[in-house]
Amino acid sequence: MNQILNKLDEPTRRQFMLNAARTYLGVHLFPMLGPSIASAATEGAAKGAKAQHVIYLYMSGGMSHLDTFDPKPKKKEVMGPTKTIPTKADGVELGQYLPKTAEVTDKMCIINSLNSTQGAHEQGSYIMHTSYSLRGTIKHPALGSWVVKLGGRLHPELPGFVAVNSSPELTGGGFFGATFSAAPIGSPDQGLQDSKRFPDVSEEDFGRRLSLADRLNTQFHSRFPNTDVKAYEELYREAISLMNSKDLKAFDLSEEDQATRDLYGPGNFAQGCLLARRLVENDVRFVEVQLGGWDTHYDNFTAVEGRCLEFDQAYAALLTDLDKRGKLKDTLVVVATEFGRTPEINTDHSDGRDHHPGAFSCVLAGGGVKGGVKYGETDSTGGKVKENEVSVQDFNATIAYALGLPYDLVIMSPSKRPFKIADKGTPVTSIFG
Amino acid sequence: MKNLFCAVMLISSVSQAFGLEQKEAKVGEDLVFLKKSALAIDQHIAAFYRRQNLPVPEVTDDATYLRRAFLVAIGRIPTSEEALAFLEMDDDAKREELVQHLIKSQGYSSHMTNWAFDLLRLRDNQPGGQANNEPYRNWVRSAMDSNMTWNEFVTRLVSSSGNGWDPKTAAVGYYTIDRGMPLDNLSNTMRIFLGSRMECAQCHDDPFGKTERKDFYHLAAFTNGQYDQNEEYMSKLWTELEKDQEERSEEYRFAQLFRNRIFGMSLGGGGAGRIELPSDYQYRDGSPGEMVGAKTPFGKTVRMSERKDDSDGREQFADWIVTRTGEQFSAIIANRMWKRVMGKGIYDPVDEYIESSKTVHPDLMSFLARLVHELDYDLRAFQQVLMLTRTFQFGTNPNPSRVAGGDDFHGRKIERLSAEQIWDSLITLSSGDPDKMAKRTADNRIYVSNSPVLVGKKDMVQLSNEVLALESEAEVRKYFKDFMATVKSGGTDIKSDDSMMAMSEVKTYGLDSPVRASELPSPAPREHFLYLFGASDRLVVEGSSREPNVGQVLSMMNGYVQRQLVSNNDSHLYKSLEGASSVDEKIRRLYVAILSRAPTGEEMDWMKEEVTAQGEEGYRNIVSALVISSEFLFLQ
Repeated sequence: MNQILNKLDEPTRRQFMLNAARTYLGVHLFPMLGPSIASAATEGAAKGAKAQHVIYLYMSGGMSHLDTFDPKPKKKEVMGPTKTIPTKADGVELGQYLPKTAEVTDKMCIINSLNSTQGAHEQGSYIMHTSYSLRGTIKHPALGSWVVKLGGRLHPELPGFVAVNSSPELTGGGFFGATFSAAPIGSPDQGLQDSKRFPDVSEEDFGRRLSLADRLNTQFHSRFPNTDVKAYEELYREAISLMNSKDLKAFDLSEEDQATRDLYGPGNFAQGCLLARRLVENDVRFVEVQLGGWDTHYDNFTAVEGRCLEFDQAYAALLTDLDKRGKLKDTLVVVATEFGRTPEINTDHSDGRDHHPGAFSCVLAGGGVKGGVKYGETDSTGGKVKENEVSVQDFNATIAYALGLPYDLVIMSPSKRPFKIADKGTPVTSIFG
Repeated sequence: MKNLFCAVMLISSVSQAFGLEQKEAKVGEDLVFLKKSALAIDQHIAAFYRRQNLPVPEVTDDATYLRRAFLVAIGRIPTSEEALAFLEMDDDAKREELVQHLIKSQGYSSHMTNWAFDLLRLRDNQPGGQANNEPYRNWVRSAMDSNMTWNEFVTRLVSSSGNGWDPKTAAVGYYTIDRGMPLDNLSNTMRIFLGSRMECAQCHDDPFGKTERKDFYHLAAFTNGQYDQNEEYMSKLWTELEKDQEERSEEYRFAQLFRNRIFGMSLGGGGAGRIELPSDYQYRDGSPGEMVGAKTPFGKTVRMSERKDDSDGREQFADWIVTRTGEQFSAIIANRMWKRVMGKGIYDPVDEYIESSKTVHPDLMSFLARLVHELDYDLRAFQQVLMLTRTFQFGTNPNPSRVAGGDDFHGRKIERLSAEQIWDSLITLSSGDPDKMAKRTADNRIYVSNSPVLVGKKDMVQLSNEVLALESEAEVRKYFKDFMATVKSGGTDIKSDDSMMAMSEVKTYGLDSPVRASELPSPAPREHFLYLFGASDRLVVEGSSREPNVGQVLSMMNGYVQRQLVSNNDSHLYKSLEGASSVDEKIRRLYVAILSRAPTGEEMDWMKEEVTAQGEEGYRNIVSALVISSEFLFLQ
């Protein structure tokens, strides 16, 4: 039987696997889109929403707003050695470590007036990702999970939510369940690990294994009707449908030519940005890519320069590349972080900067957002928000608005408590063109 | 063997004769006391059921108990030999004996090490930093190995100072891993050892709690003044070479070693006992820049003066945590250990202290806090008590706890294994008992520009002790110059030392090595199996996750499990099939090895059909199916 199968052409092999999976696991062949809730309630959703996808670049550790997107050139004591540079957008200056970003500032809307209530990493990252405060009693779904829940998937087999180099605690489905958790990518070069059948295993044997496991699991689940146990059963279905997808190559960076790979630059973050572009082109809804190391308590200026080396080229390449391919108009590219850094420079720690949730910056681009503009303002030292304060929840509501999702729709958790994608946030609508 | 045994006997009787060992046996070794304590716990639980008018849950079967006991005590499933030995034993006391055996075995400390690393955010290196945490890692690993008591462990971490390389003082890593962020370090100290959440008060008065920002600074005064030991002897030399690095790059590389890996890994002073209020201090009870003295926020008050720098703030702080916070210090660790053994905390989150009298189980909680104290903070003995209870043996309850944030005590809650438990179990299948493998050893070699020098002649412990003992800048400069010359000459002027030669053999393991997770690099890189299954990245306290995701399932079907186990003919698992005469026997052995139980009649029929249809390949299919099944991934 194995020999016969090996001679079959690709579509027939695929058909066999699908049939095997259907027979053994009850996987349905119709697209696993799931009903989109967005159509049910549109009050609060943007009428002219343009974004279909989100690429969410998360600067983990607390990116210094002062040395990047909110410099204060008149205040030498705040800036330390950081200089400012002009950009392609009139009246917008950036920290000197972002020369390539300065070339694409005409596509960006820089929000300088973010304000968070959380000044520690764990709590700060959690509220950015979920709009809610960290609690011991409930796990809130991540923003990407909300987007897939409210907007539905766009591709029947590929995951709706993918996270590159991110933390499972920040990209989980929470009370929506594991099928809304991000598919994790550890190394962009390796793509989605293990998504192909192991070479030694024939299709038939693969199917038989799943069939056996399914029988065992059915027994186990009937003894232990537990949501986590159930989650794995559902994930097997997901995984098989994913393995069968003809679009699996969306995860394969080797399909890109060297020039494109070089455009983004080396490193996991840069190649993660390129992967994100491939994924949104293949109808993945939400891709998060994380860049760590922004916790610059110690020797802030050297550290920020190092982080910007990783960020600058990749970010500029992503916006340019998306634009060239006509995808920037329906992809919202977000740069986010949990808080900023203090205007005071701590000389005890080799010129470090400490956490500063009171005022910080995030950036939006594409997806219908106006480019070359700033929104909100901090005071002369960058310590306090002076104008148009944007809370974490407002920021997330703005992302939902860009996607045309109902940011005010209440979803009940299994414990019967009401939640919304951005809690009590309201979107900043004036930044949309 | 017999000789060795005699030698051990001799040594122990000699040391007894000279009073070298403690006269009284440790209370943690007193099995009668441990069993009595276990019974007392069960009585508390039974009283709870009576009050609730509920039947006491049944005790679980041997196979479930066996797997649970192994995974809880030593973090892996039993080998098939271990499983058979237990299942076939006909002895009323066998559960008790199993607990005794497991808790004293190598695997116990490996499993505890993962827990300690998660708690302490222990990474081998700091992101972006040159310092290295290996000596500290090794210190913690050894402390778990020797079952250092919890009060001593905490005291030695919190009061540490000195050379980061010397095994006697390597606990300074507790502070040096957080270089530049002493306030975050302090928040974490309060959180992990006392369950007191003060992160908010770092920046503002806590609107919901009692802690004010000033309280936080009073506390921070104890540990204020964390600097490199004798840093002033090195700083000028460093500045000169740093400025001039192009021309004198070789000297600069040596200076990097001295500055970053010797001075930079040490901790000077002992805690000043006073601190300035920050420049953005916003309340009326103080002004920015004002000096405040150390003062503890609760428990028995300990104060230090704001008038002068002192040198024992860290010691006073450690002593306060361990002995002057009432039951808080004991209760927090007791509840943490309860969660480790029973699956759920008596209250959860376990790092937010609730007075025992205000918990759902006031009597039980205060009993446990007292018990941990009576056991002299011997965590191994405390966990042994918990494992000896009937409560630990309760049957499995599939439903989630009915008590928000804690245990409803209605049977064991089913829970996915931790990433480390899954890994350690898989390697047990692929390579046999992993506790027979040699442990990782610390790399104490001296590195200049990434290459080891003077191997077998001098190591970092010796070098750093010599350098840190120097008493002036001039002495450091001279030593520096001589050291460079010695290295360049290949160390011909140092006499070879056999013991140093033996010490210089370093045992480390690559990422796919079939060794315990506790011996692998920390944290596991993001593309690693452990990370995929939710191992902590050790950036935040207890950052591990048991969230399922599609990547885990792909890995089980097509990845590491396939490569290392199912398709690997050398798997220990397949060797265990040798000598099995019938298909039934082979299937039974696979079941015992993977699920620690025999197959049911129905399962046996399915599996035999598989072998009939696919022949030898059928066994692989069975192995794959059993390992990817939920029963393998979940603790019952």
